[in-house]
Amino acid sequence: MRLLPTKPFSRASLAAPVAALIGLGAVVPMAMFLVISVYSVDFDSYTLQPNFTMASWREVWTHASYWILIGKTLNNGLLAVVMTAIVGYPLALALSRLPKSAKGAALVILLTPLYTGEIVRVYAWRLVLGQDGLVNALLMFAHVISEPLRFLLFSPFATHLALFYDDLPFMALALWVAVERVDSRLIEAARDLGCRPTTAFRLVILPLTGPGLAAGTFMVFALAGGEALAPNLLGGTTGATPMTMIDNLFGTAFDWPTASALALTLLLVLLFAAFLLSGLALVLSGGLRPLRRSFA
Amino acid sequence: MNASRNAILIAVGVFLYLPIAILAVFSFNASPLMAFPLSGFTWDWYRHLADNREFQAGFVTSFLIAQPVGVMSAGLGLMAALALTSSRLRWRLGFIALLLVPFLAPRTVLSIAQAMMISRLGLDRGPVVLIIAQTIVIIPFTAALLSSVLMRLDARLEEAARDLGATPWESFRLVVLPQIQSTLVAAYSIGVILSLGDLTIATFLSGRVQPLSLIVASQFLRQLSPDLNAIQVVMLALTAVIVAITEIYGWRRRRRRERLLEIA
Repeated sequence: MRLLPTKPFSRASLAAPVAALIGLGAVVPMAMFLVISVYSVDFDSYTLQPNFTMASWREVWTHASYWILIGKTLNNGLLAVVMTAIVGYPLALALSRLPKSAKGAALVILLTPLYTGEIVRVYAWRLVLGQDGLVNALLMFAHVISEPLRFLLFSPFATHLALFYDDLPFMALALWVAVERVDSRLIEAARDLGCRPTTAFRLVILPLTGPGLAAGTFMVFALAGGEALAPNLLGGTTGATPMTMIDNLFGTAFDWPTASALALTLLLVLLFAAFLLSGLALVLSGGLRPLRRSFA
Repeated sequence: MNASRNAILIAVGVFLYLPIAILAVFSFNASPLMAFPLSGFTWDWYRHLADNREFQAGFVTSFLIAQPVGVMSAGLGLMAALALTSSRLRWRLGFIALLLVPFLAPRTVLSIAQAMMISRLGLDRGPVVLIIAQTIVIIPFTAALLSSVLMRLDARLEEAARDLGATPWESFRLVVLPQIQSTLVAAYSIGVILSLGDLTIATFLSGRVQPLSLIVASQFLRQLSPDLNAIQVVMLALTAVIVAITEIYGWRRRRRRERLLEIA
């Protein structure tokens, strides 16, 4: 990342403007949380007082309600990781067995749902899960139930389903890329030597795709844990997240210092948990062993 | 083996497209109540759109914001990708981590941080701020897409051009650019599509400007209506058309190149 082009011009110097934009437009604003978190607010004139106080940090760190909310997003992220991995592996294996000509189309089909707008997806789930929605209508038609199920919408179920839907393509993509790199002869050899498919998966595919699983875990956890819209609009009374709390503190309550302290706490906890979880995914999948061997 | 493979692919495909399909079905349903059983076919909700000035203004706003976002995310994504695929990039991991920040940071938190900074600087929220903020969030997507293609190019072609006396710019324009043209178009399309679909950033940074997603969201919070259905389906159809045009364009360019290679 050279800041000034030296002779001869190198493509590497093109990183500078991009880094400057993201640095000034994303990193600096979030770093400002640190400054604003030690300010106080004069609620008579609704102005920020640039002084030094730890009051907002004390507020966030001593009240359980904030930590319950943070715990909820960790739970959202964790469940999304587990569900997308369970569906993502068979999906990635199926995708990798497609003929080469079909893979491009499969990629487009997998990624296009990511392009639907945020509000469109939430809206669609309400039509599918609502009291008169598709699922209830089908179940009633089949006489499985006589009354519409009410836990489908405005419930943790709806939140987790929406997060699973939003993040499945990311996990599937990470695992697909990893599975494609596995030498298929290794799987055939395992099968020829009498391994059942599940054993071949556990002993060959899982360790070799461990880094892909770790990358997918990191991505899905961060995305699902940081998602505010789906829990807020589909989760009903259970759908409060630290993000909506930060929004309320920032907008309605004009308590920027507490909003900043909570935002920084959330960012650090999410980042730490994402690293922890993806490390765990790497170790549990046995993915660390082949990695270590290739470095040794 | 193939049967179970296809079963998985079809099941996931249905799951991914089912909510979208239901949305489309209800937009043609005669009853204004969004409930099964369906009650007949109608174009009414689409006809209502023709009279809805608020939606139309919102659509124009969204469209005008999406254009610069598309161009800038393609251009800056290309710059990031060129740097990432250069062997002389220092602090490579640092640069990758930086690119991941806007992708991984909770969007609400990032937007609030940006809103705070704008206000501390005494600047106004509005279209310019919104365009920049959306571009920042979309760069990781376009950079990933473009570097995946740049990585697969034959580096010897560019080296040959340089050896024959081309300047870095000439070798880029004459050798690299023709090979990535369709990917650049795809990057622009992704920028436009993600900008049209954005709600979170617009909530905090659009100021007095009202993109369509904000208008839809504010009505949606009050109640579901078939008019909202119809406008969502129009946006989905637009997205599908952009994806289709981009894919066909890329496919035709690839085929032309293959044919040229056969002749050569």
